[in-house]
Amino acid sequence: MNKLLNKTLVYYIVSAFVLLLLSAPSYYWFSRKLYIDDVDEAIQLRKDDFIKDALNTLTTSDVPTWNRFNRDIRILSDTVSKVRESIIQQEFYDSGAKELEPYRVLYSDVEIEGAPYTLMIRLNLVEWEDLVETTGILYLIILMVLLVGFVLVSKIISSIIWKPFYRTLDLMESFDIASQEPFYFSESRVVEFQQLNKALEKLTRQNLRAFQSQKEFTENAAHELQTPLAVFQSKLDLLLQSPDLTENQAEIVQQLYDAVARLSRLNKNLLLLAKMENQQFADKEDLNLNAMLEEVLPYFSEQAEEKNIQVEAELDETIQVHSNRSLAEVLINNLLLNAIRHNVQDGSISISTKQNHLQITNTGKASALDADGLFKRFGNPSQHANSSGLGLAIIKMIADLNQWEIDYSFSNNLHHFVVKF
Amino acid sequence: MKILIIEDEKELADSMADYLKEEDYRCEFAATFLEASDKIEIYEYDCILLDLMLPGGDGLKILESLKSQNKQEGVIIISARNSIEDKVKGLQIGADDYLPKPFHMSELSARIHSVIRRRHFGTTNKIHVNELEVDLLAKSVSVHEKALPLTKKEFDLLLFLLGNKNRIISKSALAEHLSGDMADMLDNHGFVYAHVKNLKKKLAEAGAKEYIKTIYGMGYKWES
Repeated sequence: MNKLLNKTLVYYIVSAFVLLLLSAPSYYWFSRKLYIDDVDEAIQLRKDDFIKDALNTLTTSDVPTWNRFNRDIRILSDTVSKVRESIIQQEFYDSGAKELEPYRVLYSDVEIEGAPYTLMIRLNLVEWEDLVETTGILYLIILMVLLVGFVLVSKIISSIIWKPFYRTLDLMESFDIASQEPFYFSESRVVEFQQLNKALEKLTRQNLRAFQSQKEFTENAAHELQTPLAVFQSKLDLLLQSPDLTENQAEIVQQLYDAVARLSRLNKNLLLLAKMENQQFADKEDLNLNAMLEEVLPYFSEQAEEKNIQVEAELDETIQVHSNRSLAEVLINNLLLNAIRHNVQDGSISISTKQNHLQITNTGKASALDADGLFKRFGNPSQHANSSGLGLAIIKMIADLNQWEIDYSFSNNLHHFVVKF
Repeated sequence: MKILIIEDEKELADSMADYLKEEDYRCEFAATFLEASDKIEIYEYDCILLDLMLPGGDGLKILESLKSQNKQEGVIIISARNSIEDKVKGLQIGADDYLPKPFHMSELSARIHSVIRRRHFGTTNKIHVNELEVDLLAKSVSVHEKALPLTKKEFDLLLFLLGNKNRIISKSALAEHLSGDMADMLDNHGFVYAHVKNLKKKLAEAGAKEYIKTIYGMGYKWES
């Protein structure tokens, strides 16, 4: 993944390179033309000077001497078969450099003392390779300057123009819906960023509101249900006192008791989940889980007797945690309850504490449970009438709140639940 | 004995009064904050049942004014807001007990019984039922003046039954009571049966009359 700015930088550099490359031939052509025009002009000037100043004073006998001292303005016999009065390109052998050198040359017919001569004026040109090389170096320098320039400019752009964008990005990253922290974007003078911030603000506000109202709804609904449940249960208690209750009716009352107990348990669990979501269990203390386990074990062992379940506890290593007492109790109770409720007749439960691991292993259904749905609310369709379908969801949430890990596995026909503290 | 039921849900208040009349309690009602404030200002009660969410005000304010007036009433908070903060706060201000809704009438009756006993019989808090004597402070029981050793659960069970004399207590209510904080987690009535059986056996062996009756399909009853 590339950063936005690096990406634009790469595009800029590549396009600059391509543009420079494309412009190179025309640059070369233009500069060459300019150069040749300049040289041609100089030749023309020399010719004019020669005709004006030198030609009248020369005699035919001066010609060999003239040619001896002048390399580039020479007086030749008129037998030279070159075009006259037009500057042409021609190469001459340079005895010094031992190679052919390019020249611009003008041949012109002149008369000295009535005799026809051909005047040759030439100027040495820079070699073609040299020109290309110079152009190349020039381009390289331009490219380097552009490169440094682009990097600097993009740095400046990032610190000025893109700053609000990165601030927004940071804010979004640290956004946690459960914390209910409202969202404050800094002002930006860039229309698009302002637009982005506004859109995000709207989105998060809607999310927060939906989250809040969902949480409040669950808690309020659960609270509101408590009173009618209380009325229901109180009327059952009164009904039970009627002296003329038949056996049949008593049985119906008992079934109603079971139903209302289940309803009230479900409600309590929903309330507990809502309260956890509303972070109402903030106060924490140091807890000795082993002591807490030992405290409730007699109760659960007693409950296990009904199914003749063997309960074994090996609380070897002490587990100390820093957590909310009520939640830790609920976690332990729900785990043990789960092991009893989903156990079989004459089954077994073993509880062990080792290296900050609490493991509860129990017999039960002879196949693995669906690990994905297991910890979801009502995610594990239970055949158990007494199960609220929320027990494991509560366990999971308590573990999450405390950053504990909970794992389920199935092996040797045993169900294992492990909490890593 | 006079009891004030401060509860805005009329049906629930009626149920409570109906259930409690068996114990010779006289119940009065208050359905709003104002009504409740007026009544505690003028009258005296042995026990007040206080709902926290009242039309017109917070029930905890009533508790505060009771305590500031140095009134001696026992107070049991009955609340739909089953929160630890409320419980802690209520008990700190001076409530005697906290009972979250929904609750069994038998549980309420047992708690009222215990609050009134505590309020009225400070140092020698003993319940006598014919040949039976229960010392609430020492948590001991004797039959024909001979000590009868009971487990903690059995003692709890005995008190619960005594707090609901001559009324049928459902197995669910007993199971919840005996489970304490782990209440109503398991619909498991077998252990209730076991505890009741043990208590009956111990009482019978000590020579007490058969006060505990099993009402088939419904629950148990203390008859005396």
